[in-house]
Amino acid sequence: MKETAQYIDFFRSERQRIDSGSLPVLNARRDEAAAAFERLGFPSQKVERYKYTDVAAAFAPNYGIQLQNAPSAPGAPSDLAAKAGVPTSSPSAASTVDEAPADLVSRLYGTLADVNADAITALNTMLVQDLLLVHVPAGTTREHPVQITYQLHSSAPLMQNRRLLIVAEPGARVQVILNEKADAQQDFLVTQVTEVFVGAGAQVEVYDIESTHDRFHRFHQFFAEVAQDGRLTHTAFTLAGGLSRNQTDVRLSGQGASANLLGCAITDGCQHVDNNTLIDHLAPGCRSHELYKYVVDQQSTGAFAGRVLVREQAQQTDSEERNANLVCTDQARMWTQPMLEIYADDVKCSHGSTVGQLNAEALFYMRQRGISEPDARMLLKQAFAAEVINNIPLKALQQRLHILVEKRFRSCEDCRLCKK
Amino acid sequence: MLEIKNLHATIGGKEILKGIDLVVRPGEIHALMGQNGAGKSTLSNVLVGNPSYTVTEGSIRFNGKDLLAMSPDERAHEGLFLSFQQPVEIPGVSMVNFMRAALNAKRKYLGLEPLDAGSFLKLMREKRKIVELDSKLTSRSVNEGFSGGEKKRNEIFQMAMLEPTLSILDETDSGLDVDALRIVAEGFNKLRTPETSAIVITHYQRLLDYLKPDIVHVLIDGRIVRTGGPGLAAEIERRGFDWVREES
Ligand SMILES: Nc1ncnc2c1ncn2[C@@H]1O[C@H](COP(=O)(O)OP(=O)(O)OP(=O)(O)O)[C@@H](O)[C@H]1O
Ligand SMILES: [Mg+2]
Repeated sequence: MKETAQYIDFFRSERQRIDSGSLPVLNARRDEAAAAFERLGFPSQKVERYKYTDVAAAFAPNYGIQLQNAPSAPGAPSDLAAKAGVPTSSPSAASTVDEAPADLVSRLYGTLADVNADAITALNTMLVQDLLLVHVPAGTTREHPVQITYQLHSSAPLMQNRRLLIVAEPGARVQVILNEKADAQQDFLVTQVTEVFVGAGAQVEVYDIESTHDRFHRFHQFFAEVAQDGRLTHTAFTLAGGLSRNQTDVRLSGQGASANLLGCAITDGCQHVDNNTLIDHLAPGCRSHELYKYVVDQQSTGAFAGRVLVREQAQQTDSEERNANLVCTDQARMWTQPMLEIYADDVKCSHGSTVGQLNAEALFYMRQRGISEPDARMLLKQAFAAEVINNIPLKALQQRLHILVEKRFRSCEDCRLCKK
Repeated sequence: MLEIKNLHATIGGKEILKGIDLVVRPGEIHALMGQNGAGKSTLSNVLVGNPSYTVTEGSIRFNGKDLLAMSPDERAHEGLFLSFQQPVEIPGVSMVNFMRAALNAKRKYLGLEPLDAGSFLKLMREKRKIVELDSKLTSRSVNEGFSGGEKKRNEIFQMAMLEPTLSILDETDSGLDVDALRIVAEGFNKLRTPETSAIVITHYQRLLDYLKPDIVHVLIDGRIVRTGGPGLAAEIERRGFDWVREES
């Protein structure tokens, strides 16, 4: 396939420049990744996990790939590359790559993100320039969330391949907020691979908040492993974007581990949001809770596929999966596919999805009280999304998201009013 | 203020209102009675512009304006209010946000600035007292999980907030216990002015004892077949509807 070849050719001809701006630990994995990527190629829509997104089309244009070393330390200035800032208010509780135990990165990098299983992961591992490490030593609690903001600006089309590694040692606690932003109206393509290691009894919350624009294409492959009694919360919040595909794979590998997956997508225009999740119950007594909600407006499309896999040994699994969607127009499309696969016999599992429209009776009730139709619609949409926000453990972020969601819906309704 | 002429309306292709004529003047209270399915709620819904109903004939003027040409929210701004027979639950939309949106929309229509947060909450407190609505209810989502009676009380609370000139009470008494009925009815009376009018739909005399209607109408099969003074309600309570049907 020519899309695949384009990236392989680039890799082969630019190999030296790619390596020179990057860490040895990243360079050491490129050959294997390239071989895997060449073999796998971009997945067609016949590949089960990619059936809702045309990956090759997203990767077909010739984006410029930024090969300067992007900063992984706070405050380093860079015009073209992403800014990745880690507030260091409590440096002892978060280390940069340099401060972390010597072999930590080489020991863990790429162990969850299997290049042989997924083409985008392979592509990312082949081309990655930038690794950010959040390491929380055993028994340490980071009081304030680590905020990582990627703000792309570029005067030409730009592709960026980046990597995030979060390691919470046993008993550690950390909250990480990823802000994906773009200030230029430009064609952007981002692949991000995140690997999260939640140690025994550790608690990790990752909030991935995308607020970009319709020329932004984002592929986020998120992998997490949760050890005994560890707790992971993951939130994928798509406030605005062009094409967003979030693949979220969680392995509950230690007894009593739990995962709480939340997601919300607000789409309009020609936006496309595809969330694909896999929760793998590998140990007994684990819990997983999953709630994804979409508000799909205008001509936009949304897809949700969530697979919960309960292995034979995973007795006393407690799992709940729900996907609820509001489809606001006749042109908007939503695909939903909750999947539950159980091989253990003593489990409590539920899954379900709904696709509906705004409640006409509620709309009329509000209009009888004098609320205009656009405002009534907005209140109902906000109420719908609010359920996800209210499930977020980080209270300060709840408030922020309520405001951002309201703003988002206001501008969305406003622009529709202008078109009338 | 309200003038309905030869009003015909359908729902789902079925004609429910078959030529209604009704005039309501400022300060008047009209009671509207009639058997189940006669079309009372249909008339209420048509008046407030529920899009599920189609008006096929006739006209409605409200304060001299063509009511049928207005959107439901415009009608509300012009002073029309319906206390719904079955108020809908709106999970996730808080009473506060809902009332604020409604009140500020009306103020905007009247060319007034939105109410600041402090004044708004003060107003909520004052109006809540009129119908003795528990503050726990106004801190929840609109009608969500409210009991039948609490929903009805909440309707009159909203009426107090919005100060309409013509209120339609569609079986506001049903679901209210004896004490609640008194509180809500007395609250309603406190809100009355010489300019405000109401159409009160009910099956029972008790509410009318409090509200003291000036005129009573009986609706049968989509038509007003009899109009009389307050005594008519008492007579219906005693004798039922059959005699009205026979005499009409
Ligand atoms: N969607 C619909 N399609 C057909 N008929 C309908 C529809 N909705 C309501 N109706 C009918 O319209 C008629 C009038 O109903 P309406 O609710 O106005 O009665 P009502 O006088 O308010 O009765 P009640 O005292 O029971 O409240 C009823 O026979 C009802 O079944
Ligand atoms: Mg009725």
